[in-house]
Amino acid sequence: MIEIKNLKLDFPGRLNLFINKLSVEKGRILAIIGPNGSGKTTLLNIIALFQKPDNGSLEIFGENIFNMKDKLAFRRETSFIFSQPYLFNETVYNNIALPLCLRGMHDTGAVDEMLDLFKISRLKMNLAATLSQGEKHRVSLARAFVTKPKLILLDEPFLSLDSRFKESLISDLRRIIKLNKITTIFVTQDQSEALALCDTMAVMINGRVLQQAGPEDIFTRPGSKEVADFVGIETIIEGPICKKEGNLCFIKVKDKILEAVSEYSEGDDVFICIRPEDVVVSKHIDTNSARNHFKAIIINIEPWRLEYKLSLDCGFNLAVSVTAQSVKNLDLRIGQEIVASFKATAVHLIRRGSQDDTI
Amino acid sequence: MNFILEGFRKGVILLFGLNSEVLAVLKLSLYISILATFIAVCIGVPLGSIIAIKKFPLKKIIIALINTGMGLPPVVVGLFAVLFLSRNGPLGFLQWLYTPKGMILAQVIIAAPIITGLSLAAVQSVDPRFYQQILSLGATTRQSIWVLLKEIRLSVLAAVIAGFGSIISEVGAVMMVGGNIKGQTRVLTTATVLETNMGNFDIAIALGLILLTMSFIVNLALTFIQQSEDR
Repeated sequence: MIEIKNLKLDFPGRLNLFINKLSVEKGRILAIIGPNGSGKTTLLNIIALFQKPDNGSLEIFGENIFNMKDKLAFRRETSFIFSQPYLFNETVYNNIALPLCLRGMHDTGAVDEMLDLFKISRLKMNLAATLSQGEKHRVSLARAFVTKPKLILLDEPFLSLDSRFKESLISDLRRIIKLNKITTIFVTQDQSEALALCDTMAVMINGRVLQQAGPEDIFTRPGSKEVADFVGIETIIEGPICKKEGNLCFIKVKDKILEAVSEYSEGDDVFICIRPEDVVVSKHIDTNSARNHFKAIIINIEPWRLEYKLSLDCGFNLAVSVTAQSVKNLDLRIGQEIVASFKATAVHLIRRGSQDDTI
Repeated sequence: MNFILEGFRKGVILLFGLNSEVLAVLKLSLYISILATFIAVCIGVPLGSIIAIKKFPLKKIIIALINTGMGLPPVVVGLFAVLFLSRNGPLGFLQWLYTPKGMILAQVIIAAPIITGLSLAAVQSVDPRFYQQILSLGATTRQSIWVLLKEIRLSVLAAVIAGFGSIISEVGAVMMVGGNIKGQTRVLTTATVLETNMGNFDIAIALGLILLTMSFIVNLALTFIQQSEDR
């Protein structure tokens, strides 16, 4: 188990890092996501003992490493993979064998095992300088895993890779990490990378960890408006809960009433988060199970990933994703009146003020 | 024109029929230059690396002094070496004046700044990611320095070649410190000067050809080591 508590590092005028609590279970993969400049790499540098915090504690497998005298021993149980790997001016074999040499260990097949796991056996005797960027990343990963570390720190390791190669590398990496039961902390600003690799996720913005939870919770039940913004929830509207029936809340937004399932109380001011993929559009009000139906005007249609994104005006702005097929079947056009529907369970509420609460 | 061609003919004969006197001069030249290069490497490479890596006050001034040292005029080095090693000088007690030891000292003073300066530039040109990467792989400080030197080995060998080249061909300092004493401190460069002044152009040409050949062989060996790394 790795646990960070009350970690503080101040770079006046640049970054004020404060981590109240962040933890990862042994053998699990934690992805720290956040925009550029949020302090992710700084946090990783602190964990790797490259940077000293102003105060706080970092317990790794039961020991506070800031108080540890033998920092070399900790470094030798940890591997750090940088976004731009540095390979030494040697062969691939010598690069991967170097951590073993530094520990006075002999290669009893560990290098070949890594070459095989990362699918680079054919490059064994090639000079590192002759490799492609993707091959360099694989060599760097093989070198990091050769000593079977207890902890792996990954700092945007797929930054400069093309998407097809990235997918195959992430899949191989997850398999190897799980096979060796290595605790991993992975920093990225790419949410799809994080989702593909991690077991648990933390969102870091402006030097603070705003939420740590499972990936599904982060994306469907963000804990604050900033997290909701970062994970791509485009429809975030404010309004008070004007009525409550059991768990069903009625929220007033301008002259409309939205229904949502939540524990919050009547009178609470909330942010209403609706994911674009949870909204269904139709020409007429469908008799489906959705409790929210609003007449809307299409104000914009634009391609979005493999689908289309509609911007609707239903008295409030609502973003909706639809398939190309739906655009064609419903003959959707700008200015057209349609009906937008979504379930009460698809609406996520965040009480106003909770965005200031860090975990 | 004829005397030049005749000089070359006799020189080639002398070159291939190495007599004992020429052989002694050759051996002493090699001994002094190789030992001086070795000592200069032992001083220059670590010193250059430390100056490149460490942050300290007046670093820029020290680098400027080293860069100046790279172009030290040998006669000035010879002059100060004579002053320091002379009987009344601060190092007079060593009794190194007019000995091979004094000549080695003068050559180390010439070669060390060159090797230090080139090593310093080589270490400064190392990718800054190297330092975090090597630490993250679990290297001790000593291991980090060793891996760093391996990383810049091509540049270090270039520094060795430059250092050796600067002293094997040097005449002013060794002439002043060694005195060109026959059988004791006479080396190829000083012998060439002497024979030229005496009008023995055939011997001077032979010595010059030997110097060139020897310099070429040593540099060829170093270049082979250097370029074999760059496959």
